[in-house]
Amino acid sequence: MRVPFTRRGRATPSGGPPSTVTRGAPRTAPGGVVPPETAPVGDIETIVDQATTSDRPWLVIVWNDPINLMPFVTFVLQKLFGYSKEKATSLMLDIHNKGRAVVSSGTRERAELDVYRLHEHGLWATMEQSG
Amino acid sequence: MSSPIKRRRDGRYVLRLDANARIVLANLAAQLPEALASRDPMVRRLFPPAYTADDQTAAERDYRELVDTALVNHHTLSLETLVATAEADSLSEEEFGAWLDAIGSLRLVLGTRLDVHEDMEAPDPQDPMATEYELYAFLGELQYLMVEILAEDLPDEGRPEGPL
Repeated sequence: MRVPFTRRGRATPSGGPPSTVTRGAPRTAPGGVVPPETAPVGDIETIVDQATTSDRPWLVIVWNDPINLMPFVTFVLQKLFGYSKEKATSLMLDIHNKGRAVVSSGTRERAELDVYRLHEHGLWATMEQSG
Repeated sequence: MSSPIKRRRDGRYVLRLDANARIVLANLAAQLPEALASRDPMVRRLFPPAYTADDQTAAERDYRELVDTALVNHHTLSLETLVATAEADSLSEEEFGAWLDAIGSLRLVLGTRLDVHEDMEAPDPQDPMATEYELYAFLGELQYLMVEILAEDLPDEGRPEGPL
């Protein structure tokens, strides 16, 4: 297990281009997709981006770190997410071997809650929107 | 060799730890709440960022505002429980969970200070960090044994109803 030291100072590894959606902005476009011709020139990309990014699920990632023991990580994943021993072990090995693994996904609120519960247990967890 | 940790039939946990180890644990645990309250840099590892990308500044700030106090309170309560029950003959399930959490926090703080890495060898006994590393290794053994016992009570097939 290892801490992602490269996390700061680079763009989202697999989260795609930075979202233009700011917190507090509506997460689903009212009335569905806005016809481009009604949008002021220059804002089209922003609106299309808002309409699509808001629907993409948030992924909860656990990163490898050098301190937490492998059986402890498996235990926490079983306990928090109700995963089978086999699934939790496989996720833990992904974290260990590949540096990170997606352990859950859902709405932004759900992902924040999961990140918090993982932080309570001392795991290095972050969230990002799927690309 | 049988594990020094047992789950009794009445559901309480018994740890076979000598008096010295208990004092060491309690002393270590007693030091952290103040560091947590003052957000001393030594406890920074207990507060990872919530967002992978560093362009989510506002969201990260919102998350910190929302949870940091709860996170401090959670860890503080666990550490205080360990200190209060350090010499107890047996622990309730809740107290045992608090010990696991407190020991985890102590490992993260010590491990960060020691800058541990995977497959790290124990330092030379003359090394100024040797004592601290010994403590770190002791906490690791304890965590390993505690998890072994707790994992026995989790269903191998998982919970069909999913996340809590």
